Amino acid sequence: MMRISIPPIARLGLFAAICVCAFSGCKHDIESHDEVVAMFGRLGLGPGDFSYPRALTVDQHNRIYVVDKSARIQRFGPDGAFQVGWSMPERLAGKPVGIHVHDDGRVYVADTHYHRVMIFDADGNELARFGREGNGDGEFQLPTDVAVDKDGFIYVSEYNGNDRVTKWSPTYEFVSVICAGEVDGIVMRRPAAMDIDNENTLWVADACNHRILRFDLNGRYLSSWGEMGGEPGQLRYPYDIDCLDDGTILVCEFGNHRLQWFDREGKLIKYWGKQGRRKGELWAPWGAVGGIDGRVYVVDSLNARVQVLEN
Amino acid sequence: MVSAMLNQIGLGLILPLSVDQPVWLWLLLIIPVLSVLSVVSWRVLGAIQPARRTLAIVVRCLVIIVLALCLADVTYVRTTDKLTVFFLMDRSDSVKDLQQVQEEYLKTVGEQIKSKPDDRVGMIDFASNAYLQQLPMHGGYHVPVGRLPEMDYRDRTDVAAAIRLALAMFPHDSAKRIVLMSDGNDNMGNILMEAENAQAAGVQIDVVPLWYEHRNEVYFDKLVAPTRVSEGDVVPLRMLLHAEQGTSGHVDIYHNGRLIDIPREESRIQLRKGNNPFTVKIPVQGGGPQRFEARFVPSDPERGDSIEENNTATSFSFVAGKSKVLLLTMREEDDLALVEALAKENIDVEIRDVSSGELDLLDLMSYSVVILANVPANTFTSEQQMDIVNYVSNLGGGLIMTGGDESYGAGGWIGTPLAEVMPVHFEIKHKRVIPRGALAIICHSCEIARGNYWGTEVAKKSLETISSRDYFGVLTYSWSPGGVNWDVPLQIASNKSAIKNRIDKMVIGDMPDFDTTMKMAVKGLAATDAAQKHIIIISDGDPSPPVPSVIANMKKLKITCSTIGIGFGSHVMEASLIDIAKKTGGKYYPCRNPKKLPKIFVKESKVVRRSLISEERFSPQVQYAASEMLAGISSGEALPPLGGLVLTSPKDESQIALVRLGEDGVADPVLAHWQAGLGRSVAFTSGFWPRWGDAWVSWPQFSKLWSQIVRWSMRQDAPANLDVFTRISGNEGTVVVDAVDKDAGALNLLTLPGVIIKPDQQTEQLVFTQTGPGHYEAKFKVDQTGQYIANVAVNENGVSQGSIQTGVSVPFSPEFRELTTNVAMLEKVKDITGGRWHDDMSQAASHPIFDHDMPPTLAKEPIWEWMLAWILLPLFLLDVAVRRLASWLAFSIVFELVLMVVLLFGVGVIHGPWWGILGVIILVELVGWSMRFRSIGPLIESLTSNVAVLGQAGERSTASIGQLKGVRDRVQDERSTDASGKSTTKPSHKPDIDRGARFDVGDDAAKIDAGDLRESIDSGSAGKKDKPQAPKQPDRDATDGDDEDATSRLLRAKRRARRDMDDDQKT
Repeated sequence: MMRISIPPIARLGLFAAICVCAFSGCKHDIESHDEVVAMFGRLGLGPGDFSYPRALTVDQHNRIYVVDKSARIQRFGPDGAFQVGWSMPERLAGKPVGIHVHDDGRVYVADTHYHRVMIFDADGNELARFGREGNGDGEFQLPTDVAVDKDGFIYVSEYNGNDRVTKWSPTYEFVSVICAGEVDGIVMRRPAAMDIDNENTLWVADACNHRILRFDLNGRYLSSWGEMGGEPGQLRYPYDIDCLDDGTILVCEFGNHRLQWFDREGKLIKYWGKQGRRKGELWAPWGAVGGIDGRVYVVDSLNARVQVLEN
Repeated sequence: MVSAMLNQIGLGLILPLSVDQPVWLWLLLIIPVLSVLSVVSWRVLGAIQPARRTLAIVVRCLVIIVLALCLADVTYVRTTDKLTVFFLMDRSDSVKDLQQVQEEYLKTVGEQIKSKPDDRVGMIDFASNAYLQQLPMHGGYHVPVGRLPEMDYRDRTDVAAAIRLALAMFPHDSAKRIVLMSDGNDNMGNILMEAENAQAAGVQIDVVPLWYEHRNEVYFDKLVAPTRVSEGDVVPLRMLLHAEQGTSGHVDIYHNGRLIDIPREESRIQLRKGNNPFTVKIPVQGGGPQRFEARFVPSDPERGDSIEENNTATSFSFVAGKSKVLLLTMREEDDLALVEALAKENIDVEIRDVSSGELDLLDLMSYSVVILANVPANTFTSEQQMDIVNYVSNLGGGLIMTGGDESYGAGGWIGTPLAEVMPVHFEIKHKRVIPRGALAIICHSCEIARGNYWGTEVAKKSLETISSRDYFGVLTYSWSPGGVNWDVPLQIASNKSAIKNRIDKMVIGDMPDFDTTMKMAVKGLAATDAAQKHIIIISDGDPSPPVPSVIANMKKLKITCSTIGIGFGSHVMEASLIDIAKKTGGKYYPCRNPKKLPKIFVKESKVVRRSLISEERFSPQVQYAASEMLAGISSGEALPPLGGLVLTSPKDESQIALVRLGEDGVADPVLAHWQAGLGRSVAFTSGFWPRWGDAWVSWPQFSKLWSQIVRWSMRQDAPANLDVFTRISGNEGTVVVDAVDKDAGALNLLTLPGVIIKPDQQTEQLVFTQTGPGHYEAKFKVDQTGQYIANVAVNENGVSQGSIQTGVSVPFSPEFRELTTNVAMLEKVKDITGGRWHDDMSQAASHPIFDHDMPPTLAKEPIWEWMLAWILLPLFLLDVAVRRLASWLAFSIVFELVLMVVLLFGVGVIHGPWWGILGVIILVELVGWSMRFRSIGPLIESLTSNVAVLGQAGERSTASIGQLKGVRDRVQDERSTDASGKSTTKPSHKPDIDRGARFDVGDDAAKIDAGDLRESIDSGSAGKKDKPQAPKQPDRDATDGDDEDATSRLLRAKRRARRDMDDDQKT
């Protein structure tokens, strides 16, 4: 029988390779291999520039809307090219932190520090606004996000002592409080984002409790999951949530500088991102959303850019 | 010169590189020397193949080249057509009506940049200082255009400082343009010199002149009052009014803030064009400084006297009178007993509520002694604290501080300038166990402008005012893992400078909630042994409030929390901040002006300093009976007890008259005093009448003791034989002293130490020069608006004779004397830098501010660090490998690894797409396997055969010389053997190993005539042909053979040396 002779240095290399593969396999078996296929934006105030962008959304044409801390909303094409931009009518008191575009093309902006919701068309023409400051029905305290269901009902989350989600009619009349106060034994704190999936379930990112809540559209509590921490599957300040077409739940973590994909029961599917300035790294991301092209768009706030991921 | 040439030719043309320190390129001269040496000493590398030898030399040369480039600070050069524009905007008082015009201009011009995505815009506001408002950034303005920035010190213009700042802030990789918007009336810096610097740096300055002309202006040029007058004198006030056109009006005179009733007919004046002198006589009553103010009121305000500020002038005189004491207190009823006791001793005391806030240096000069009766530091502004310090140190005033729950360390005085002039340390220096305080600051200041700056400032201010025995820590939401962190870990503040360094490194992030931060603060505070535990939160209230359990836990642990709401308008979410403070027993402070933050923090930090108060009844003991204050008091009689004191520590040079002797043997100062500069200060750490001092108030000696304390502290009277006054001309002031003796003869050669206190409380020493008989003058710079007060001390025969004060007032800024735009100055700036003149602001849209019409810019990027890490270091490894690794296999592996690391990490392919990484791997493997199949070695060998032949020729020459030396040695050996009759061990000339296995001199070489170099070369060629015939030996054997041969050669040389020594001894 022929004996194969392996030089010592090759043996050492083989051993090292086996070790690396073995250990990396143990730790990162659920780390996403999503690749950054595009990146746009830079720090600035010009067209296509961002000043601490804090929310984004994608419409049916795969156009991306980003709102930043200069109170501007900018629309980008699917290729990341700047198309149009407009400013919020008032901005001295503070800037919006939530934006949502409905299937009909209407852009809903949670005008946080003016305690109202503003609605624009795709070119920035104001269509409507509703809400005023207060703690009662039909009033807001620092609204954070907007979601719209298939029937046109509007859901608004808010915080600052008024931590709740309220439901509004398509004609902007207050309907009901979906959730407020204690949910599953814990008082809600800063519901930072919401989304409605294909099964008419309302998902809420209870950011300061580091958990995800699930309700039906009448406010019936269904389930919750999540705990504070930095390990895969744990959460730290989930600032955005998006229900993807494949049924997975995409969560954007401000505190852990990453994205995580969960199934509906909260089981971790994969995660992506780490803190940093390079491509493929995130710094305090405020929002992430899935596009109709299957890509994921993440607003990399402190890096003043949007990164586009593809699996 | 050579190095410069190398720089230009070698780098500038061949590679886009440049060097900043070309002198290091002289190192490149080593390369030819090394090459020659290598050829000559080819034999030294005899153990390796010729190709490897050449490679070794090449690698060594590359190492030297890269090292020289690194030392020469090599930079990567590329041309760029990017443009950076800095707008310099004049915010001084002279153009205060033109602020909106500038903003409009900025807004219009800014439209141009929308079509220039790669251009950058920066912004600087300037007046007496230059402030960077926006770093050069893409896309336009980040600061809102249309803002009218709040700026201090608009009373001067320093255009030069603004240009200097812009020059420092320009990015290196773009063309540079400054757009200067100003009236050109610079009254501080050297604008032309900075313009020349800009020209040298290739910066163009475009000028947008701010036009104005005040044709009918009237302004006060001077108001002069005599420096010193006597009580009851009539003071002549001399006025000089300047009018641009003939006009009329009247002058109102105010004396100590009160309008003097002068009939309108008498006060009416007619002004002609030019200077108009007038004199008004005012009788004065009472002592101390007398303030005068004159205001010109035009008869017809519509005629164009547009600048109101320059219609007012101020001046003051000092009136000698009876000494008075000023007692500053918060609770008058507590100090009435002391006031009555002093009145009994014929000492006038004026009580003033410190919260009135009215106190300045001129005010203090009315009094001989100031008593701070249990008042905290935060009731004074930092300027007022400096006034008190100057009053004592530089004007010879007396200062007494009495104790209580708001004084010394407990009153927040630790770390203040005033602590320096007091005779006791406000910190506890001795090792005594006293209850500690603990302060945790939660900082969320990122939502306000310059939030990081204010966050660090307030943290440092709090740190300064707490005791070094207290705990201190700062929590922020930072961007590091975990979010919430102790940026300054909770620790005993014994090393405040180290803690300040940590504070300076804080980067304050956007905090999502208070809950996590407060939990961490509570956990940290609970773990300390502090008696008082306090949290201060600074925030806009935006984070989510804490859960109720956190508040409940704080109550349980007796941790209080005060909150400060910062921000603008409705952006402050006050509800949660108020709620936290209310529920935890703290206070809420709304704060709209960040400058007020430090004062609030000083006040709040006080909470943790209650531990410095010791409320135990004790009898003071006399420690220094010789104290002048205790004369006639301490005659063996026990002093009445006191109810408490504030803990302090004595300073080395102070006199501690009374102490409290503790059970632990520590003597706490009760009454201490010392000389503080020109003045005197006294610390009485008890007091708080009648709570602590009820027994003292009823003590018969109380008034005597306190009158002696006050009289000891009083400022010394000035000698009457000095006449002092101050005058101002332009930006220069002069203090003049005329000294005469009692016979009216001039006093010459006097030493007059003097100091001038400027409006910003800073002091400047006065250097007096005698300019005539008994006449002395000292100059000082006038660069601020306000009061300048000078103190001149008089020493006669080395003994202080007291001091004398003078002063002058600068009532308004020189900005208000500027009546037209300084066109000439602006044009000079433009001409020096080759800039352009943009006169018509209404045509702003067409001004070519963002035109790329400047020469292309060379952008330099330092790359020496990269070269050091990714070229020099790998080359160094290869340099070692090429010599030390005998086999091509090992060498090729090292080469592969090094190349791969450099390409992946040095060039950054690892961050690129997968096919890039794959390409690198393939390339590296190709190179590696080529080396392993010896396809590179022969290639190099054939390319360098001529060098090898030359090397071998040199080798043979060396060998021939060696052989000749060998022959000589043998002859010498034979001779020495014959002479001694003894045979020494002869060196073996027979080779021990097969020479064919190594590239060394063989026996054949010994036969070659050393003189026939041509033959040697021919022989070398022949030898090369013979090389393949050499028996194959593993490389290792060849190396060993070489080592063995070298050893035997060394042994032979040793033996020869020994024989030579023996021969010398014999001869």
